[in-house]
Amino acid sequence: MIKLQNIEKSYRHGLSQTFVLRRVNAEIKQGDFVSIMGPSGAGKSTLLHILGMHDSAWTGEFWLHDDPIHQLSAKDRMRLQKQHIGFVFQSYHLLDNLTVYENIDLPLSYRDVKKAEREGMVADILDRFNIVGKKDLFPNQLSGGQQQLVAIARAVVAKPTLILADEPTGNLHSDQGKEIMELFRRLNEAGTTIVQVTHSKENASFGKRVINLKDGWIVDAN
Amino acid sequence: MLVQDIRYALRSFQRAPGFTLVALVTLALGIGGTTAIFSIVDGVLLRPLPYSDPGHILRVNRVGANGGLDSFSAADYRDLKKDATSFSALAGYRSDIVDMTGRGEPVRIIGMQTTAAFFDVFDAAPLLGRTYHEATDKPGAAVAVISETIWKQQFGSNAAVIGTQVRLNGAPTEIIGVVPAFLRHPQKSDVWMLSPFDVPTSPFDMGNAESRDVHYFSVAARVSHERPVVEGQQQLKSIGDQIARDHQSNAGSTFKGEPLAASLVADVRTAMLVLLGAVGFVLLIACANVAGLLIARGAARRRELAVRTALGAARGRLMRQLLTESIVLAIAGGALGMLVAEWTLQLLIGLAPENLPRLADITLDWRIASFGFIATIAVGVLFGLTPALQSSRPELNADLKDGGRTGTSRTGMRNVMVVAEVALALVLLIGAGLMLTSFSRLRHVDPGFRTTELVTVELMLPLARFDDAAQRTFYMGVLERLRANPLTANSAMLFPFPFGGGNAQASLSVIGAPERPPEQRASADLYSISPGYLQTVGVRLMKGRDFNDGDGPKAAPVVLISESAVKEFGGKDPIGQKIDMGEGFTVIGIVSDARRRSLDTPPRAAVYLPYTQFVLPYMGAVVRTDRGAGAIASAVKTAVVQIDPDLPIGDVKTMEQIIEASTGEPRFRSFLIASFAVLALLLAAVGVYGLISFTVTQRVPEIGVRLALGASPRQVFTQVIGQGLRLAAIGVVLGLVAAAAATTLVRGLLFNTSATDPLVYGALALLLLAVAGFACYVPARRAMRVDPMTALRSE
Repeated sequence: MIKLQNIEKSYRHGLSQTFVLRRVNAEIKQGDFVSIMGPSGAGKSTLLHILGMHDSAWTGEFWLHDDPIHQLSAKDRMRLQKQHIGFVFQSYHLLDNLTVYENIDLPLSYRDVKKAEREGMVADILDRFNIVGKKDLFPNQLSGGQQQLVAIARAVVAKPTLILADEPTGNLHSDQGKEIMELFRRLNEAGTTIVQVTHSKENASFGKRVINLKDGWIVDAN
Repeated sequence: MLVQDIRYALRSFQRAPGFTLVALVTLALGIGGTTAIFSIVDGVLLRPLPYSDPGHILRVNRVGANGGLDSFSAADYRDLKKDATSFSALAGYRSDIVDMTGRGEPVRIIGMQTTAAFFDVFDAAPLLGRTYHEATDKPGAAVAVISETIWKQQFGSNAAVIGTQVRLNGAPTEIIGVVPAFLRHPQKSDVWMLSPFDVPTSPFDMGNAESRDVHYFSVAARVSHERPVVEGQQQLKSIGDQIARDHQSNAGSTFKGEPLAASLVADVRTAMLVLLGAVGFVLLIACANVAGLLIARGAARRRELAVRTALGAARGRLMRQLLTESIVLAIAGGALGMLVAEWTLQLLIGLAPENLPRLADITLDWRIASFGFIATIAVGVLFGLTPALQSSRPELNADLKDGGRTGTSRTGMRNVMVVAEVALALVLLIGAGLMLTSFSRLRHVDPGFRTTELVTVELMLPLARFDDAAQRTFYMGVLERLRANPLTANSAMLFPFPFGGGNAQASLSVIGAPERPPEQRASADLYSISPGYLQTVGVRLMKGRDFNDGDGPKAAPVVLISESAVKEFGGKDPIGQKIDMGEGFTVIGIVSDARRRSLDTPPRAAVYLPYTQFVLPYMGAVVRTDRGAGAIASAVKTAVVQIDPDLPIGDVKTMEQIIEASTGEPRFRSFLIASFAVLALLLAAVGVYGLISFTVTQRVPEIGVRLALGASPRQVFTQVIGQGLRLAAIGVVLGLVAAAAATTLVRGLLFNTSATDPLVYGALALLLLAVAGFACYVPARRAMRVDPMTALRSE
């Protein structure tokens, strides 16, 4: 599904150059549940944001479902991003001015899905995630775990083939975190490919493989 | 989707009441002020006159040999009318004071005596009855048309007024029609009377009235619909040139036609456009302010916008959402602005000088509301576009990273806006400063006569009852009685009042001096005064003697001349010389110059005649007193009643009131621009405050680090103030340059004031810097009070 070849990202400061990612090569198959791990500053989140097409300042080759992302225009990348990818952030990043319903509806409205169809899809997700009763609440009225649940619901409502999660349990206590990881496992079992960045070995154990990064290099990919 | 965006916009504004209130008030002031001023400009300059084909109505003037505009003589008018084939109608008219009697209490009103074609030129459909016309009404028919105002006030809006017989200045007259209130051109009138002749009657002896040298009425004309206006104008000139060739008395003169609407507002056009420009500046500053607020808000929403982009929102979609928010804000601000416009307009109309042309045509109607609406949408796009462009391209990588710090985010565009606001505010301030300086200098001009402790009383006499001899008897009798009263002992008679209506001129031709070509002949303002006038009003007798009771109607004709007239005597002593005014008038004295038309018009050569030898039915009394106008009015009324119980007195005003009224337009204009300048200053200060406050908030972590590393609070304070003052200084420099360029446009509006007066420029630049410094003070104080530990812990 995903193939990375010689992905590199660096920042220039005057004459010097600092590498964040060095010659990253990796393959992620359809249905994989991959955890990217490593110490702080290893480049984990950077790699995740490149996979999520939030970052376009890198070199190398990135293939997604046989599409050469590295050769595509910004517009085409956005099209593929909308088609395939759902992103979950550590800090949830729910929009404070929107209700739970509206937050979940938002990605569908950006994909020009008709209103009647959107209503059905959002209702289905609310039901699946057991948050129908909270649909009219605003994010500041929810607990951290509930907010992350809504964020995941938002990430999956458009039925992406790939979910990218950046430290999805980083701001939750352990019980909530376990619930979230169980949810990811269920999604993966249903066919969604998941790539998560995590510091936690326990969280990594929910996945099938780990990619270790250190100082921008992949040191271990099993 | 649009409904969704509008809903989100309303919700987000509701959740940020502080921002929303400041933005709405700013927009309301900017849009409302602009709409109010546009209403005034529209009513005065743009709105067509309420007649059919108004562009074809011309005011016709006689242009004298020296280029000055003049009234018409009967002979000139008749020749013009005979040959004006490009015109469908030509009418002569003259304003008059009219005593309406014959039903209840006599009332004195403003009237106009016209020839039969007047309502062919000004074709206002009557509310009742009919108007007179050249085709249907011949001179001699004793008919009149009254205004809607008089119909309501004097006849109780009774439809039976048609056919009513009244006496107008003693003459039996039938009222045949009532015309609507909008018929107030070319001058306001309460009654229009058909002249008994083919020309308006003259205030002078009718024998003289036939002379081409006696100019006493005005002319209006309507160019035929199918002819271009310029053809009519060319024909007027052609006829005038021909008459000048045929008659020595008209040598060098011609006729000139000017579209009536333009002629009514010629004196105020520049001022109106300057006002519109000034309020446009205020609107721009308001937009820059709101744009700055939105940019700051956009910066605070960067993460939200980055999330939206990460969720699939295209840039265009984000821009549409942000522009929708701007336009919703603009519409709300515009709606409030309409309220502000209505209130402001009523206030301004109340403050406007009465002599502002077309004041009654100013109104807030659907045209103005449309302008306001378009301005609102334009404003919404204007102030929303930059923030939308800037905020719709978030740096996803930086803005989405958890724990990432935004630090001092992009303030470049806000800096530009604050600099622009300061520059625009300074231009307005300087414009206002120059106008106020000019107005102050104008008010301190010495008019050449006393301005305090003088009361004037109009004593106009209806021609139908008072011939020359009766006029003389009346005015002499009133003056005698006034002087016998200790309260009014220091009195005189005068025509015309300074700075008032009424005007008389004559060519100044010294008998025995070399003959001059017509275009080089001097003209002089004519005054008719009683003995004692000079001493009453404080005009100095520089040489010779004043008039005395011996200068009666049968005595040798004498004149006084002003200082400015002395040069016409070729270096010789004017005393004892004669000037030609139909017969030789001997100069008996020289008096100091006095301004007649306005404070900013230098005094012209003037000739004073004794009222016993040159009497007019428009004279008035001037009384030197330290008592109020009320007491004087009562005393004058008593004196008049003793001579003619049926004669009311006219307006009673102090000389201070007359001078105040004469400076009404520059005062109004200066007040408006000063108000805009103060508003602009406040908005610019808010803009500077907003930017510095925002920057301080963003820099709290950085400030915390600096303080932790040893910076003193005073150093932090100075740094923050310095940032704001640097921007303000750039704005001031740009503003000074822009003001030097812009104020050349208002040079014509300034009196004794240079458009680049360094004192004005310097003082206002310093004021603006001081205000900017003050605006930075509060956020700078906040910065110096940052607790390093709190600031660093929150990181």
